[in-house]
Amino acid sequence: MRKWLVVITAILMMLSVFAVKLTIWTSEAQVDILTKLADEFKASYGIDVEVVQVNFGDIKSKFLTAAPAGEGADIIVGAHDWVGELVANGLLEPIPILPDKDKYLPVPLKAFTFNGKLYGVPYAIDGPALIYNKDYVEEPPKTFDELIDLAKQINEEYEGEVRGFVYDYKNFYFSSYAFFGYGGYVFGEKGGKVNVKDIGLANEGAVKGLNLIKRLVDEGLLESGDNYNVMDGLFKDGQAAMIINGPWAVPGWREAGVDFAVAPIPQLEPGVDPKPFITAQGFMINAKSPNKLYAIEFLTKFIATKDVMFRIYQADPRIPSRSDVLALVDDKVTKDFADFLGTYGLPMPNVPEMAGVWGAMGDALAKALDQGIPVEQALKEAVDTILAGIK
Amino acid sequence: MKHFWKIIGWLCLGLFNIFSVWGAFFLFGKGFYELSVTFFVLIVLIDYFILNKKSYPYRYMIPAVILLFILVLYPITFTIKTAFTNYGTGHIMTRQEVIDRLLTDPVYTYVPENAKEYRYEIFIRYDGIKPTNDYKVLLTSQNGEKYIMGEIKVVRMQAGKMLLGEAQMVPLDRAGLNIIKEDGNIIAIVEDGKTYRYFYSPYDPETRVNEIFFKSQVGFPVLSKVEIVDPENNRLSLRFSEDGSLRLRTVRHLYRLSLAEVQEKGKTVVKTVLFNDKTNKPLIEENGTFYDLDENGEKVAIMGYISYIGGKNFSRIFMDPTVSGPFTKIFLWNFTYAALSVLFTFVIGLSFALVLNNRTLTGKAVYRTLLIIPWAIPAFISVLIWKNGFFNETYGIINRFIITNVFKGNPLQWMTNPFWAKVAVLVVNTWLGFPYMMTVSLGALQSIPDELYEAASIDGASKSQRFWKITFPLLMTTIAPLLVGSFAFNFNNFVNIYLLTSGGPAIPNTSTPAGATDILISYTYKLAFEAGRGQDFGFASAISILIFFIVAGISFVNFKISGSFEEVNR
Repeated sequence: MRKWLVVITAILMMLSVFAVKLTIWTSEAQVDILTKLADEFKASYGIDVEVVQVNFGDIKSKFLTAAPAGEGADIIVGAHDWVGELVANGLLEPIPILPDKDKYLPVPLKAFTFNGKLYGVPYAIDGPALIYNKDYVEEPPKTFDELIDLAKQINEEYEGEVRGFVYDYKNFYFSSYAFFGYGGYVFGEKGGKVNVKDIGLANEGAVKGLNLIKRLVDEGLLESGDNYNVMDGLFKDGQAAMIINGPWAVPGWREAGVDFAVAPIPQLEPGVDPKPFITAQGFMINAKSPNKLYAIEFLTKFIATKDVMFRIYQADPRIPSRSDVLALVDDKVTKDFADFLGTYGLPMPNVPEMAGVWGAMGDALAKALDQGIPVEQALKEAVDTILAGIK
Repeated sequence: MKHFWKIIGWLCLGLFNIFSVWGAFFLFGKGFYELSVTFFVLIVLIDYFILNKKSYPYRYMIPAVILLFILVLYPITFTIKTAFTNYGTGHIMTRQEVIDRLLTDPVYTYVPENAKEYRYEIFIRYDGIKPTNDYKVLLTSQNGEKYIMGEIKVVRMQAGKMLLGEAQMVPLDRAGLNIIKEDGNIIAIVEDGKTYRYFYSPYDPETRVNEIFFKSQVGFPVLSKVEIVDPENNRLSLRFSEDGSLRLRTVRHLYRLSLAEVQEKGKTVVKTVLFNDKTNKPLIEENGTFYDLDENGEKVAIMGYISYIGGKNFSRIFMDPTVSGPFTKIFLWNFTYAALSVLFTFVIGLSFALVLNNRTLTGKAVYRTLLIIPWAIPAFISVLIWKNGFFNETYGIINRFIITNVFKGNPLQWMTNPFWAKVAVLVVNTWLGFPYMMTVSLGALQSIPDELYEAASIDGASKSQRFWKITFPLLMTTIAPLLVGSFAFNFNNFVNIYLLTSGGPAIPNTSTPAGATDILISYTYKLAFEAGRGQDFGFASAISILIFFIVAGISFVNFKISGSFEEVNR
């Protein structure tokens, strides 16, 4: 009797109409694959998932407006540095259990952890590494001394037609490797919690790091007009030998036909490794959604599986956050990025106080590198600015 | 026929009144007091305009009045109100909402160590052979006592959806149900002639095929939001267990309301406060935020709410040295920037207009079209082109070709030297603004009658005399108010500054994100949204009110001065 009932229901399952629905906000790179995945999820789990395309830059602000009113998406796809602000506003639900937690790279998990709780299912990481044009560089430099020599040599050989080394050095994101490699840090940590009053951006390590970048400027490798667009344009035109940039720009270089390869950012000095900022991308759950448990089910039982993660990678080739997915990837560029960033990458702090760091550090870099203000003073002023904003 | 239309008209008015009054009450009930009052005032005004014969002409202003109230007056009151609050990151809900959430939201519950677990079985009524949404939950305690889940009472709603419900456990023998057993297992429950058949239990692998239907129809939409209270007053709720299945376990709310003695202004008062159930300590409420104490006795912010903080946002502008320090510098530059922008655009625009107004000039249409282009291209695009293409210190056209190649000079530090950065900002703003002045001047020039010039030339006036004595004064009567408007616009011309220099280069020796080309609005934008911790709407509102007063004051004085030109007209 029992068995008979069960079988009948199983057949009827396919016919019945399901009223419940999950909404996901995501940007254009993942819309197609997520829509496809949503259909599959519905077929096997019976839960409707609606995928809505929102510009990446608008997801957080739209969510901040809609979610407090009890509206907005149940799940958003975004960067880990949104976590602090959203949690402070009470809008994110922690992920109770993430299956195969040991299969993830430690960096993206740390990125989505706030006050000891995991607030997102990471699927990819982004971050800067050294990119070189194989036409000019045979063997990537291992240390910055080598890099400086090589870049100078290229500058001389091509009489300024080709830049040996160029990157957006006044942007704290791209220059972070030097600060943290020498032991600088943004916010200190105490017992697993971020202490925003403890800022390590003017300590000995940070000063050393900024001095290294200043040396690059003083040696004439970096010029005051360099910015992201200049770097990207020069590299695409084959007029730059070495740059520092992230995986998001790879399709552009391929389209431009540049013969490039990825290498670790060189050691700051022999034995001192660089530590660049990385961003983790992931799925987050709206704490005010009435469908929290569905959302958890969808993310942990479906999205966070190896196969689905690999399919997301195929549709939107970023560095996967799972090491077993990474093992399936046979693209050398992705692997090289992953090897470097997975080992040395440092997640950007996800506390809301990070908002004040970017501007202050950008000013400090400009003051020290353009205006000739002593490195120590520029960094101290930046720390004062950040502290003044926090209190 | 006339009567018919009249009746229709009255009906429409009646309907409009009913709906808008209902809407206004609805908004009031939801806590949108300002908007509700705005609505009421609007309804009264509209009725007055329609019913009163004397106010006949005002009827045509009704659409304008509606837009005035909804788009202008309401936002102004909202801004003023926000300026006195701490609205911003960490403070976006009302206090009541926060307390409500802390008390009821499943996030703020925990599973205690010796949690009870009940087995649950779902019985569903079939419609023919189709399962329906009508179900019964049979609960079995660890000792084998059987209960049935009673009716669900809604505890917390949001937008018409239940967020939290509560249901009692009724002992099976007292529930008044008929039970059908087979081999000692319950296979169906009968109530009022309706049969509920055994459908799903997470402990029964045979029913796994029904798991999806259970989860999507019963488990997630309803049961997951219900707390089931057992006879010992334990609250049980569905939670994901370690293996990923949904189990029914005792949960406890982390926070509860309780009476406690609190120190308030030196006096001890008994008050209802929130308690942490785990540590049994009251929550601390400070600066619009609830703080909890962790194991080490350290304060941890849980959630903040919007609270009135009086004039704190305003006093911060003046008293906080980190904010007020560079304020004068920025204010002076802001004034210079706006004034010079108006002057340059006007002088250049007028010169072009005079040339274009010359009757002997051929191909006027072509020139005019070309000269209007800077105005027609969106500033967002052209400013970025100026920034990257012209003013880039290494690769910009000006430095690379003109300064270093043609004049063999040193490259100018467009973005790093405060003086040159200011020049760059003014150049771009002039380029963007002169076509407007040219268009306006052209119109004004054409309205000056030719006889005046004829008479002047007969009297032997020179060209410059004719310009300064006739053209210029007559021009100013029409253009002076526009210059004032242009000044106010440039005073708040955020886009140009933000896109071109972002306010940079940074001013040394400050502890605020102040830059040499920052104007008030860009400086305060940085303070409110890019410094500290995310958004600070309260502070931003306070500053925008202040800027409003500055601009209003300047405009008032300017209008007074420009009023003197009107004497020419008399």
